[in-house]
Amino acid sequence: MTVYIRNFLRFCAIMLIQVLILNKITLRWWSQPAGFPVFIPYLYPLFILLIPFEASVVVLLLLGFVTGITMDAFMNTGGIHACACVLIAYLRTNVLNALLPKNLSEYPNQSPSVKNMGWMPFLTYSGFLILLHHALFFTVELWSLNNIGYLILKIVASSITSLLFIIVYLLLFTRQNARA
Amino acid sequence: MRNFILFIRRFFNLILFLALEIVCIILIARTNTLQGNDVMSSANALTGLLYKKQNDVVYYFDLRRMNDSLIAENAKLRARMAGIKSLDTLKDSLVKRPVKPNDSGHVVQYANYIYHTARVINNSISSANNYLTINRGTADGIGKGMAVISSTGAVGKVVNVSPHYASVLSVLSIKQQISAKLKEGNFGYVTWEGGRPDIMVLKDIPQYVKVKRGDSVYTTSYSFFPSDMLIGVIYKTELIKKNNLQLIYLQPSVNFRNLQYVYVVENTMTEERTRLEDSSKKHL
Repeated sequence: MTVYIRNFLRFCAIMLIQVLILNKITLRWWSQPAGFPVFIPYLYPLFILLIPFEASVVVLLLLGFVTGITMDAFMNTGGIHACACVLIAYLRTNVLNALLPKNLSEYPNQSPSVKNMGWMPFLTYSGFLILLHHALFFTVELWSLNNIGYLILKIVASSITSLLFIIVYLLLFTRQNARA
Repeated sequence: MRNFILFIRRFFNLILFLALEIVCIILIARTNTLQGNDVMSSANALTGLLYKKQNDVVYYFDLRRMNDSLIAENAKLRARMAGIKSLDTLKDSLVKRPVKPNDSGHVVQYANYIYHTARVINNSISSANNYLTINRGTADGIGKGMAVISSTGAVGKVVNVSPHYASVLSVLSIKQQISAKLKEGNFGYVTWEGGRPDIMVLKDIPQYVKVKRGDSVYTTSYSFFPSDMLIGVIYKTELIKKNNLQLIYLQPSVNFRNLQYVYVVENTMTEERTRLEDSSKKHL
């Protein structure tokens, strides 16, 4: 039961951080040294990355859709976030299976984290999915390849920034003492 | 039949994935029309309330700059009012000719516009289509399609309304084009091409029109904006060899980064005008 509550609270926390803080960063002049917004940090896919290991693909897909639609409602993007979230929710299980030595069912009641995966595998896992999410999101949002250099720059720079914020989140919100 | 059920069970994940993606694509396609999407918008009650609560907190940090902009606008309006008063020959002349409303010479309609004030409670400049959320809705007389301006120039257009909030598609949007004109009266349209929020492009101006750096670009009465609102100031021009047109880069007069108060412009004649325009389209 606590797994559900913990994940629900995490969903609320990540959404509030994204909507109230990270979305406002681009309005500040110091966030745009080149004069144009190249990096837009999206922390919220982290919620999908942190759903417990044994969740089935159906649950992942539905949760991913709900996450994306919530974000769309806040940002007026009408389905682009949901589209990208459903994709990474679908591919999550495969990526985890490829990266982990043990079967996924051998991690009962645990979420993917630095502690049970190690830094490098976790960063590979989140980096790959975040890059995929951002690539799909920005391509659909801009919907033209006239300015492909800008598009690629935006995807790469945003992924790096998002990954930095994910690391900061993990450092802040991971309990240091041992927990079951 | 058994095979079909087996097929569904085998590929259920993939089918659900494709179904959800199709739902997303339908939602995206509905949003990308200019009518907008009614369901998922930041004007709905919950998101609007959250943005309002946040704005209530950060509101005070901007009061000083806001006062400065209000006093600057007051000064500008006073200067303009003084200009109108000193030129009012009708009042100063000895002969006064009363104009009746049903007089055939009475074709000029004044006071078409009603201005509603609104506070910006959410803002963005980094997406391909940027939206603002304002704290006024249908309860305050705001409707879809109304123009939104600030004290310095054109801001955008209301696309979604709820009882107490409205979301505004700003002119920083790749899907919106605004009819625009130069001071000499050459018409074109202004778009934004993504990227920097302080560069917009004026297109469809022929090369023989001489423009200078620092010239102003205004809205026309063709668009939903009131005419002669400032859009921006030209800072660079570029000739296109192919079609004798030129690209004119301009800097929007509104600073979208720190927009606080805006005016929603209700045009009381809009309904009649759109009805007439639609009926004439039908006859074609």
